Amino acid sequence: MGSGPKQTDYEASAAEKTSASVAMAEHKYFKEKYDPLLQKMRDASLQDKATDTLRGRANADTMQQLTKPSAQRAIRGADGGDMAQAYQAQLGIANTSGKNIQNTAQTNVLGTARGQAADAQTGMAKASRLATSEALTRAKNKQAVSQAKMSAAGQVAGSFLAQGMANKATTGTAHPEMPAGQKGPGAPVTKKGSFMSPVDEFGNKVSGFGNRLAASNFFGGT
Amino acid sequence: MTSGYQQYRDSAGTDALPTVTDPDKTYAAITRQDYLDYKENYGGFEDDLIDRAQNDTSLIDSARADSANAAGLMSGISDRNASRYGAALNPAQMQQRGRSLERANTLGGVQSINDARVAQREANTKQLSDLINIGQGVNRSSLSQMGSAAADATQRNNAFSQAKAASKANTYSTLGSLGSMAIMAFAF
Repeated sequence: MGSGPKQTDYEASAAEKTSASVAMAEHKYFKEKYDPLLQKMRDASLQDKATDTLRGRANADTMQQLTKPSAQRAIRGADGGDMAQAYQAQLGIANTSGKNIQNTAQTNVLGTARGQAADAQTGMAKASRLATSEALTRAKNKQAVSQAKMSAAGQVAGSFLAQGMANKATTGTAHPEMPAGQKGPGAPVTKKGSFMSPVDEFGNKVSGFGNRLAASNFFGGT
Repeated sequence: MTSGYQQYRDSAGTDALPTVTDPDKTYAAITRQDYLDYKENYGGFEDDLIDRAQNDTSLIDSARADSANAAGLMSGISDRNASRYGAALNPAQMQQRGRSLERANTLGGVQSINDARVAQREANTKQLSDLINIGQGVNRSSLSQMGSAAADATQRNNAFSQAKAASKANTYSTLGSLGSMAIMAFAF
């Protein structure tokens, strides 16, 4: 009968250990290098720098196009009105473009962050699945041990009963002595074994470990 | 769980490969910490985006402010140009120019604010659509995760039921064999 399983036989291989180590190192690297970048992008997206830049350009374009000196327009006083409309329209376009850029940046940041969170959740599901299979294996093992114990008990009890029956089935013929004053062998008496003790061929109870072992014919006999 | 993860992050060197003794627990710790990091770093950001996608009026506010600024700005430019060319306007001309400027500015302002309203609605709708798309992904992911957890739980329950049934069957089988042996023994 061999010895039981050893925990060391079930340890991770070198490749598995290295794989786990590299994965951990890469995760750490990601946390240190890339995660802060996304947080920077988040902070940048909260500042409306794109709109500021576009408004500056819109303002400059409007002024460059519409503030060319013209004595006729200056005297007529018409340049202000045209410029006011153009100025507001250009700034409106700049605001809209800037807002679109900002919104896109923000949703990109959120989408990426959400993707990371989703990966984390998927990872957690995988981890729980691993834990589940581990729990199942443990339960199966416990059940197997329990069944083995029951089977062993059953076997012992069965062997006990079978041996008891075998003991009871043994018979021997005893030749008791004749009563006093009479000669010759006595009439043969058949004796049966009891549950706990068999009888030999002469009807004597077999007792003692050595005799019982010999009577059981366990090691084979002649 | 978190402490083990933090212990690793604090202790591991930059170049040396860390030792992972229990990948299962480490995996669970990392994913849990990632989720907590998300809540801490992006939870407020996300709430703010969802709120602004529904209530943002920044484009309209800017258009209003620009309209108010434009009047003074253009009036100054007009005055400086007139001064540059030595235009001497009589009161009626000045009044007319003022009216003209005010009318143009008002019309420009109205158009600008109306354009801003349309642009604002478009921007908010697009932002909301993008957020809803992200939310759909989140929902899909969480439902998938919940489905997985439910399947695992069902598998565990089934395995437990089967184990109980097998154990009972084994017990009865053993008792049965014991009983039959006993009957045979006492039949003698």
